[in-house]
Amino acid sequence: MDDEPIVRWYWIGDHLGYLGNLLADHAVIALVPVLIGLLLAVPLGLACARFPRLYQPLSAVFNIVYALPSLAVFVVLIPYTGLATQATVMIPLTFYALAVLLPTTVDGLRAVPDSVRQAATAMGYGPWHRLTAVELPAAVPYLIAGLRVAAVSSISLASVGALIGRGGLGYLFIDGFQRTFPTPIVAGIVLIAALALAVDLLLVAARRLLAPWAVREQGAGA
Amino acid sequence: MIRFEGAGKRHPDGTIAVEGLDLEVPTGRITVLVGPSGCGKTTLLRMVNRMVEPTSGRVLLDGADVAKLEPAKLRRGIGYVIQQAGLFPHRKVIDNIATVPYLLGWDRKKARARAAELLELVGLAPETAKRYPFQLSGGQQQRVGVARALAADPPVLLMDEPFSAVDPVVRAGLQEELLRLQSELRKTVLFVTHDIEEAVRLGDQVVVLREHGRIAQLADPHTLLTSPADDGVAAFLGRDRGLRGLGLRPAKAVRLRPVGEGLRHGGWELVLDDDRRPIGWIDRAAGATDLQPVGGYRPDADTLRAALDAAVLSPAGVAVALDADGRALGTASREAVLAALTPVTMTKAEPAEPSASAGSAKSADPAAPEDPADPADPADPEEPADGADGGR
Repeated sequence: MDDEPIVRWYWIGDHLGYLGNLLADHAVIALVPVLIGLLLAVPLGLACARFPRLYQPLSAVFNIVYALPSLAVFVVLIPYTGLATQATVMIPLTFYALAVLLPTTVDGLRAVPDSVRQAATAMGYGPWHRLTAVELPAAVPYLIAGLRVAAVSSISLASVGALIGRGGLGYLFIDGFQRTFPTPIVAGIVLIAALALAVDLLLVAARRLLAPWAVREQGAGA
Repeated sequence: MIRFEGAGKRHPDGTIAVEGLDLEVPTGRITVLVGPSGCGKTTLLRMVNRMVEPTSGRVLLDGADVAKLEPAKLRRGIGYVIQQAGLFPHRKVIDNIATVPYLLGWDRKKARARAAELLELVGLAPETAKRYPFQLSGGQQQRVGVARALAADPPVLLMDEPFSAVDPVVRAGLQEELLRLQSELRKTVLFVTHDIEEAVRLGDQVVVLREHGRIAQLADPHTLLTSPADDGVAAFLGRDRGLRGLGLRPAKAVRLRPVGEGLRHGGWELVLDDDRRPIGWIDRAAGATDLQPVGGYRPDADTLRAALDAAVLSPAGVAVALDADGRALGTASREAVLAALTPVTMTKAEPAEPSASAGSAKSADPAAPEDPADPADPADPEEPADGADGGR
C-alpha cells in the first residue's frame, strides 16, 4: 500500500453505478428492519403500557438478543434463510431495532403527564382508546428519538452482513482490504456516513412535521 | 342533583379514604368541598364520574345510580377540570376544547364552531385556537381546561383544585370568571379545594370536611364565617374570618356622605377635578399643599372589605365611593363602613336554605335583604362624628 493514494478518483468515476447499487442495497437492508421494528414496537409498547407486567420479561428478551454478536446470529440463520440473502441480515437487525424502540415507546407512553391521562379518562376515553388516541401521539417525540438511534446503528451494523455476502456498502471494506486498495474503503465509509446523516435529518424533519408542539416543550422542560 | 348516600371508599389495603358520606349537591349551584389534604375530597369528587368506585353506599346523579351507567357515556356528560389542566399536548387549543364533541361523534366543523364559541366564553382571544398548549400561560391553560369541560354543555361540572397551580392574581381572575360563567350557565358544580378563601368566595354551599370525609360543617359561606360549628372549623377558617366575611357583603350597604355636603373631613380636604373625579387629599389642618392618594371603592361592585380597605388606606380615614367612571359619589368614614355591619349582619344567614341565601351574597348586584343605604340620605348620625376628629 506504500505508494497507493487514499483515494483514486478514477475508480470512483468508473464505479458510480456499482456504488449506487450498493448504497440502495445497504439502505434497504439497514432501514427495512427499523421500519418493521417500529411496526412491532408500537403494538408491543402499547401492550406493555396497558399491562405493565409484560414489560420486564419482554425487555429482558430483547436485551439478550441485542447482546448477541451479529455475526453469530447470521451463522445460526444461514441454514434457514440462506447465504447472502437479505433476510439473513435483516432478521437480526430487526431485533436490534426492536430492542432500541420498545423501551423508547414504553418510556414515551409513560412520560405522558398523569394529568393528561386523567383528563382523557374523565372525558370518556376507554383504556385502549386513550392509549392510541392520546398517549401514543403524545409519545411521538420519544418514538422519533428512538428511531434516530435505531436507524443510525442499523446503518452501521448492516455492513457486517458483508461477511456472509450481503452487507451493501460493507462489501467495499472487504474488497478494499483484500486488494490493499483503500479507495473502496473510503468510499464505503463516506457513503455510510452520508446515508446515516440523511436519514437522521429526515427524522428530525419528520419530528418537526409530526410533533411541532414538542419543539420547544422539551427545551422548556414543561 | 348529585346525591351521595353513605358513599364510602376503603382501599384494598384496608385504609379508609371516606367513611360514608351523605350529601346533596343541588342543581345549578356551586358546592365546594374543602378540607385538609387526606380528607377524601378528591375521592368523593371522583365517585361522581366513576373514576373511583365507592366500596359502600352509592352516588346518584339525577336519581340514577352512577354505578349502573356505562362509565364512558357517564363521563361524556360530566365536565371535569383538574389542577394541571391536563390538556393534550399534541392537539391545538381548538381541538383540545372539541375533545368531547369529537368523542360524541359531532362532525368536525360543528365541533370546532362550538369550540370557538367556548374560547370566547372563557375570555380567550380567537387566535389562541391555533396554538398548542405549551404556548399558553398557566392561567390560559386553565381557561382552556374549563372550556373543554363545557364543550358538550354537560349539566354537571366537577372541578378538582382547578386554580391552585396558578399565581394568586391569575387565580382571582379565574375565580371571578367562573362566577360570571356560572351566573350565565347555572351548572351543577362540585368544586374541590384546600383553600378556604376560595371555598368561601365561590361556594353557594361549602362543605368543610375532616379526615375520612366526615362533614364538619355544611353551610353557606356567610354562616360558615360567622358561626363555625366548632373550634376545629373555626381554626380551619383562620383568625381573620370576620374580616373575610366582609368580603361576602356588598359595599352598597355603607351609608355615604354625599359630596355636595362639603369635601372637608376634619382637617383634610378632598380635591376633585371638574368632572368630580378625586385627585387627592390635602391636609389643611397642617397647612400642607401636597396631595395624598385617595382610597376609592365602587359601591355597586365592591364588597365591604374593599370599602374598609379603602378607608384604612386613606390618610383622612375616609373612603371615597366612586361610580363606574371614577367620579366621586360620596365619602364613607371607617366608622360608616363598620356601621354597615352591625344591625344587618345576621339577616342573610338562613341555614334552612343555605345555597339560596349565599347566592345573593356573591353576585355583583345583589338583592340584599337589608335596605341598602341611600347615598343621598343626609340624616346620617355617623357623619359629623367622623369628620370632627379627622384633624388634630
